[in-house]
This record gives sequence, C-alpha cells and structure tokens, in this order.
Amino acid sequence: MCNKFLEIKNVTFSASKLNKIKKVSFSIDKEGEIVSLLGPSGIGKTTILRTIAGLQKLDEGKIFLKNKLISSNNFILEPEKRNIALSFQDNSLFPNYTILENINFGVKRNNNTKFKYSAEDLIKILKLEGLSKKFPHQISAGEAQRVSLARSLMSKPDLLLLDEPFANIDQSLKEELQFQIKKLLKEINITTIIVTHDSYEAFYMADKCGILLNDSLKQYDIPYNIHHEPNSMEVARFLNRGVFVNAKVISSNCAVHKLEHKELGIIEGKLSNNFPVGSGVKLLLQPEDLEHDDQSSLKLEVVDRKFRGTNFIYTLQTEEKEKIPVFVHSHHIHQHKLKESFGIKTPIFIDHLVCF
Amino acid sequence: MFLKKINYWYISSLLVTLIVAIPVSTVLLSSFNFSFEYLILLKNTFLLNYVSNSIILLFGVLILTFIFGVCSAYFVSFYTFPGVNFFSWALILSFAVPPYIYAYSLTAFFENYGTLFSILTNLFGEHEYNKHIPKFDGMLGSIISMSFSIFAYVYVLARASFYFQSHNLIEVSKNLGLTTKQSFFKIILPSARPAIVVGLSLVAMETLSDFGTVSFFSISTLTTAIYNSWLAFDDLKTANLLSFVLLLFVFIIFLTENLSRNGAKYHQPSKGYRPIPKIKLNGLKSFSIITFCSLLLFFSFIFPLSQMLYWTIKFPKYFFDLDIINLNINTLSIVVLSCFILIFFSFLTNYANRVTKSKILKYLSAFSISGYAIPGVILGVSLITFFAWLSDFLGSMFNIPSIKSIFIGSLMGLIIAYFVRFYSLAFNGIKSGYSQINQSIDESSYLLGHSKFKTFTLIHFPHLKNSVFLIGILLSVEIIRELPLTLILRPYNFETFATQAYNYAAQDLLEAAAVPSLFLILWASIFIFITSKYILSEK
Repeated sequence: MCNKFLEIKNVTFSASKLNKIKKVSFSIDKEGEIVSLLGPSGIGKTTILRTIAGLQKLDEGKIFLKNKLISSNNFILEPEKRNIALSFQDNSLFPNYTILENINFGVKRNNNTKFKYSAEDLIKILKLEGLSKKFPHQISAGEAQRVSLARSLMSKPDLLLLDEPFANIDQSLKEELQFQIKKLLKEINITTIIVTHDSYEAFYMADKCGILLNDSLKQYDIPYNIHHEPNSMEVARFLNRGVFVNAKVISSNCAVHKLEHKELGIIEGKLSNNFPVGSGVKLLLQPEDLEHDDQSSLKLEVVDRKFRGTNFIYTLQTEEKEKIPVFVHSHHIHQHKLKESFGIKTPIFIDHLVCF
Repeated sequence: MFLKKINYWYISSLLVTLIVAIPVSTVLLSSFNFSFEYLILLKNTFLLNYVSNSIILLFGVLILTFIFGVCSAYFVSFYTFPGVNFFSWALILSFAVPPYIYAYSLTAFFENYGTLFSILTNLFGEHEYNKHIPKFDGMLGSIISMSFSIFAYVYVLARASFYFQSHNLIEVSKNLGLTTKQSFFKIILPSARPAIVVGLSLVAMETLSDFGTVSFFSISTLTTAIYNSWLAFDDLKTANLLSFVLLLFVFIIFLTENLSRNGAKYHQPSKGYRPIPKIKLNGLKSFSIITFCSLLLFFSFIFPLSQMLYWTIKFPKYFFDLDIINLNINTLSIVVLSCFILIFFSFLTNYANRVTKSKILKYLSAFSISGYAIPGVILGVSLITFFAWLSDFLGSMFNIPSIKSIFIGSLMGLIIAYFVRFYSLAFNGIKSGYSQINQSIDESSYLLGHSKFKTFTLIHFPHLKNSVFLIGILLSVEIIRELPLTLILRPYNFETFATQAYNYAAQDLLEAAAVPSLFLILWASIFIFITSKYILSEK
C-alpha cells in the first residue's frame, strides 16, 4: 500500500482497440498538487481522464485515490461514488437548466468546509457575470467551458480533472483566466489533473508535467526539467523548441563540459547525460541558447526571419546545411535581411547541454 | 451488481420485442398450411382480382399523392405569396380526415339526391341533375379518397427536405446558367428524392393496409379479403395466407425505401447551412399557386369537414340519438391509456439502450419497431390467432381455464395491438430526442454524484418533455384514426368515433355517420394544429 494522494500503477488506457497508452505509472504525492498531461491531439489524453473518473474501464493496472483502489481490470467504483469531477472539453452543460442552476447542480454532493466560495464568487472569478439566468445554448463555447469548470469546482471534488480547459478561450482572456484559476485551485487546495496540448499552459499551470507521446508516458517531472532536460529526442522534438546539431565531446569534468561543433567552435556548459570524451553527440540548440553579436567574427548566413512581436527568430544556416534558430529582441538596434551574415557571440556557453 | 441492473432492461426490452414479434411469426407459421375452405373458393377466381385491385389502387394513390405532395411542398418552400405561412401548416390538416371518412363525404356529396343535387336544386330550381352529376365510387372513389387524405406524408417529408437543401447547390446551378425549371428537375428534385421515396412508401403502406375505404366502395383488395375470410368464413388460416401475400408487398416496399435511404446522406444540412431565400411571386403566377394550394386545402380538408358539418346540422336527430359523451370518453380514454403505455415502454427501452450500450439490446429494439409495417387487419387477425393458440396451449398443458376473454375482445387486447402497431413511432420519437443529449451530459451528472435514476429524472425527462408531448399528440392522431384493428379487437359494445362512423356507413346510414366523423375530424384537427405549429416552430 502506498501513501500517495493519487497513484496510477502500470495502467493501460484504451481509447480504442488500436489506440492505447500502455503501462502508464505516475503519482500525485500531496493533496493540492496540480499535474498537467501534455501530448499531441488524438493520443488518448481524454481517455486517461475518463478512466480516472470511472467512465471507462481499464485494460490492466490499478488506480488508487487516497490509498483506496478505485479501478482495476476487474473492479470499477462507479463514477458517482468517486468524488472526482471532470470538466469536459465539449459542452456538457445541462440544456434544461440555467447557468446558475448548472453551476449549483452538484453543490450538495459533500460538505467540504475548506471550500469557501459560493457560485456567485466563481461567476465573478471566471468572468461569467450577466450569464446566470441564461441557458447553455445562449452562451459561447468559451463561456460554456468556464461554466463547466465552475460546476465541477462547486461539487468540491477530491480530484478535479480538466480536459483542455482553455481550448475555446480567446488568447487575451486566456492568460488572465489561467492566473485566476491557478490561484483559486491553490487556495482551495484541490488536486487537479489538466490535459492539454499547449506546452506553455502545461508549464504555467502545473507543479508536475507528464509528456505523452506515441503510446506511452515519456517523461514525468517538474516543468523546468521537462523544458531544459528532456529525457529523449522525441520529447525535445515534441516541445519543438530547437534543432539537433552534430557535436563532439572534447572534455568533461564535474562542473563544466566542453563540446565542439565544426563551425560554432567550442560550446561549454553542463551535460545532462554523461558521455565519454571523444564521442559524437546530437546537441539540442534552442533559440535562446545562442546570442547575437554584431562584432563577433563567427558569422552565419540568415535564411529565414520570423517576427514574433517581442522578438525575432533568425534561422541561420551552416555550411553543413544545419539550420539554427536564434532569438533577438525586437528592440535590437537593427534588423538583418535574408542572405546577410549574422554574428554569434563567442565563446558559447549554454547552461544545460542536452545531448543524445 | 452491474449485471443485475442490466437484467431489468433486458427483460423489458425482450418483452417488448416478443409482443411485437407475435403477428409476424403467427402469419409466417400459419401460412404453410394449405387446406382451407375459403381459399378453395377464391383460389382460381378472386385471388388474382384482389392482387390486381390492390396494385391499381396502390399506383393510383402513389401518382396522385406524389403530384399533390411534391408540388405543394415545392411552392411553400421556395416561393412567397399571400397566405404561404398559412398554407404551410394548414395543408397538414388533411391528416385529420381518415380516408374512409373522406369516402363517406365524397359519396354523400355526389350521390343521387345528395348534397350537390340539393345545392343545384336550391340555386337553379328542380331539374334532373342526377344524370349530369359525376359519380365518384368504386376504384376511382377509393383512389381520390386515399390520395386527398394521405398526401400529407409526401408533403411533410418533401417540405422538410426542400427546407434543408443546400443553398449553395441552387446558387451554383443558377450560376451555371440553369433556369428555375431546370434547377428544379436537375438539382432540387433529385436531392429530395430519398425523402420523397420515404413519404411515398408510407403512403404505399397506408394504402395497402386500408380497410375502411375499400370496403365502403366494395372494392375487393387483399385487406378486405383477409377481413372477410376471418369474419364471414371464420377461416383464420386463409386470412393468414392472404396476410402473408400482403406482407410480401409491404416487405418489397420496405426494401425499396431502405435502399433509397442509402443516398439520404447527401442532402443533410451541414454546419454552414443557410436557409434558402424565397422567391417573391406576383401576378398570374402568384394567383395560380394560391389557387392550387386553396383547392388542395379545400378538397382535402374543408370539403369533408363541411359535408359532415352540413349533415350534422341537417339531421340533428342523429346527434341527439348518439351517446356523444360516452363516445368521447371511450375514444379519449383508449387514446390516453395507449399513449401512456407506449411512451413509458419507449422511454424504458431507449434509456436501457443508452445506459447499457448493449449490442443485443440495440438489435432487439431494431426488431421491435417493425410493427408499423404490418397492416392493421393482419395485426388484428394474427393477434387473435396467437391468443387463441396460447389459450389452447395453456389449457391443454396446465389445465388453465381459457384466457381468450382477457385478450380477445378486451381493452387489454386492443391496447396490445395499438402497442405493436405504433411502438415504432413512440420509440423513434424518443430516440431522436435522446440523440440531442450528448453522452457527456449523463457522465457529468454521474460525476457530480447523481445516480442513473436521478440523472433520468433531473436531466433526461425535463429535456425530453417537449418531445414526449409531441409524440403523445402524433400517437393520438394515429390511434383516433385507426379503424380495422379497433373494429376487430374492441370489446363488445365498445365504440369509438372510428368504429361508430364505420358501423353507420356499413348500414348505409351515411347521415348518421356524420356525427362521429365530425368529432373525429375535430379532435384530430386540434391535435394536428398543435403538432404542426410545434413542427413549424422547430423546423
């Protein structure tokens, strides 16, 4: 018997006969933690939530909530007896009730005294003012999603499951809502699992983050580590934050490692995985790893330029045809055109050298 | 624990399916035995006559209902003219007049010294008008009566299909240089074809199973042959064999309808659906269309209604002779009771299908809706055959006294028969209501701590109550019009408007038949008025 709030033990989740996520194990140690599961669309993230909620059977493995078995291949505790709330991605509001009645639908479920919010408070926090008396078909998809979230919260669940909670919400409102909801979840100490395909959202909202790729859980760690120390090329590629270039390990001591790239020269930093000196590696270069310097003698040709509002991402090409992305603040004194040469600051130092 | 719950659903669905399966299996089982008296009599001479009469009637009615239904649906869907909104629901009122009552009106109006004769005499003085007044009886009368009273099947379905047609397709066809007439024949009509075929197949089934009209006009069809062999010759076996032949017809129609449905996908409204802007008509065109719609409404509804009203006023004696209160109570109580039972079981099986998601339950319910394809006469006769057999079987096996009186000539038997006949209407109605409730809504309710039963009472029932109301009304119209089943299975001395009207008409007392007919039309009109308003508001 474990002593964890939620434990998923070797569970195979099946969305369909062919679409399965196999042998998933992770746990939430303390009550009130927020975990996000990040993966591409169609991989079966929703299936995981539905299985935890008891709406779907599992093929193998066990799920424990507060040390109590709630699902295994031959046992399933009915969803109404789990005290787990799931906020669906699609509109699952009760069409014959008003928004306020919808929010209050599960309010009598239990008397969690820690929960001090009323339906009106949640309406305010989730920016749903003026909708109380309307019916679900009269509100937008984004509003419906927030009502669904409020309804789930009002049932004071032990575990809250959110399926793409910000999918239908405008970018401008999204960030504010993320802030408000995170604050709220932390204040009332509700353990939450969020499923999303947006890495920024996953990293911001969660204490821990799981990466689902192909048919398994590839990495489960704190967001910082996932970003800086992805444990496989697959994870790094999925996060889509950089490119892999060929390099060679030339020296290694406890504090600093040195790699050599044919054109970039020496790159210093701390290797996340140990490689013997002399071995060839694939080094992950993310846009923020290299710095621009007009005075530098190390120059590469600009082959593409993306304007991202606060910054530009220049794509530089080596003679070996490797394409390397570099961030430059958009207030930088001048801009570079295509085919111009672009200076890179040397010596190059990267905090985390992610190599495979 | 979970399995225990499933058992209730299985048992109820199985029960429904078994009840519905009785008539089909009885007919099939009995039709393999060939030593009957009446059959010998009709074998070489009449059977062919019955079949050919049924076919002539069928084609006559199909052609007329196609013309009436498609033209009127096209006019109200694509054009605006004075009264278009009125016509679009008023044309459905023709449903309120059952074909046999239409037949009584037609005869009453055109017969020797009938209503038309009185009108002409009053207007132009006495003369030998009878020679010049056309007579609509026999096959022609049957075809006209049936066509005017059931063309609305084609009208309603064609109109719905026209309404949801892709505006883009029509615009593209015009853009490619097609005239209005060309785009009607090349684009609009072909894409509404599946809906029209469904409407025509409903018409075909009604025509084949009609008993009141053809028996009134003394046309021998398969239905009257079944009724006669059962009633006059007491020969259930022949009745069952004839039923088998008739069921073959129905099966062929069923198959045609199903095949044509395969293509129904392509004219379903998509997300980007825009209603078609109607063309405004003026002048001669507008006048012709208004005339067409007015004549159709007049002949299908106002004419029979006025004829019945005229007679009721002209012969008040029959009104006072009739136990109107009792007839109302009988008819409405059987309607309400049957509706309640039908809706209750439809809910039960639909909910079972939804909660258990069992494939076996799905197959069972698919089979249980086959009852509507079985003509009323066959259903009545086969239920009697079955209950007689069951009673004998139980008597010989377990020495149980006869149970015939419980099911034959009893309210219980009649309600079971209505149940078999109209179960598909109730089941499909609730099913389409349920299809609008997303499965995740149920799941949300479970996750918020509500049981399956509470989910049903708090979410499903309130959401479906409008559909239930509508289905109740539609069932009421069907049951109130139903004749042969009621005639065969009703308890002794238990009369409804339909049977009372039939009884008088069968005794050549058409004037007396007017009162129950009028009440039937009025009740049905009220029901249809509510329904059509509802359908129009829902589109």
